[in-house]
Amino acid sequence: MAAKIRETAMSQLRRGVLEFCVLALLREGERYSYELVRALGDAEGLVTTEGTLYPLLGRLRREGVVETTWRESPSGPPRRYYRLTPDGRAALGGFMIEWTRFRDSVDALLGNGVLR
Amino acid sequence: MTTDTLHPLAAEYLERLRRAGRRLPPGRRRELLAEIEGHLSEAIDPSASDAQALTVLEKLGEPEAIIAAEMPPPEELLAGRGTKEWAAIILILFGGFIFGLGWVAGLVLLWSSRAWTALDKWIGTLVVPGGLATGAFVGLFLLGAPTKRFCYGIAGGAQNCTNTPGQSSVPTILGIAALALLVLAPIATSVYLARRAA
Repeated sequence: MAAKIRETAMSQLRRGVLEFCVLALLREGERYSYELVRALGDAEGLVTTEGTLYPLLGRLRREGVVETTWRESPSGPPRRYYRLTPDGRAALGGFMIEWTRFRDSVDALLGNGVLR
Repeated sequence: MTTDTLHPLAAEYLERLRRAGRRLPPGRRRELLAEIEGHLSEAIDPSASDAQALTVLEKLGEPEAIIAAEMPPPEELLAGRGTKEWAAIILILFGGFIFGLGWVAGLVLLWSSRAWTALDKWIGTLVVPGGLATGAFVGLFLLGAPTKRFCYGIAGGAQNCTNTPGQSSVPTILGIAALALLVLAPIATSVYLARRAA
């Protein structure tokens, strides 16, 4: 039971923050989908199934926070390159401020992480 | 599709995804498949071992789970049919009554919308040109025909004309069946377009 409650909470948390993690990865410039998915997949505890990140990328496109261009790849099928739109940059900036506040509050309530 | 350059297990995975995604709106299905195909071709070398391929596929997750994540919630499916799409459907169905111009306007909206595939657009255009108005005019002609001369034959060639006062020369059953088809087909097309739009 406790494990189930924790898993549900974690999956909701992940869902909430993942799209901002994608935006953050694009802060320094464009990347193509596979690079994005691998970068997120390699981060500890952030992604359980890499495949479901593609529907997330689609949602970001429809929301207009990223824009994309297809380009030929030296090998294999064409690659879709993602970059931030001004809207996406603004959304990321806003989230970074909110997140710091949120994280600090949760950390303060959780204490130093040692359960007594 | 370049599935022949994929590892056999990757090609099989893509095929499962394609099948699981049949109920997705066509545009979203196409984009998702293109992205996943890119992933597979980057992550799995065609000559990789089965064990290596399976490791990548396991990280990717079940095709059904990916489709479930892509599937828009019902309210979003309805929202996908924006004002423009509804206007296109209504004008194609009824626009023919506005001197045929409404139908043409409907076609312009249909072909400029991104909600439908080319096949959907051809179906919308060809089944039936003019929409319900075509059926209505044919019906009026059939009803009005009895006292008029009815001609058939090749245009510009020999024509057979008959005077049939009080009785249509077109077999009644056939006429009614054709008329029913002309009325039902455009309605079926509208339902089809409404369901496919997303």
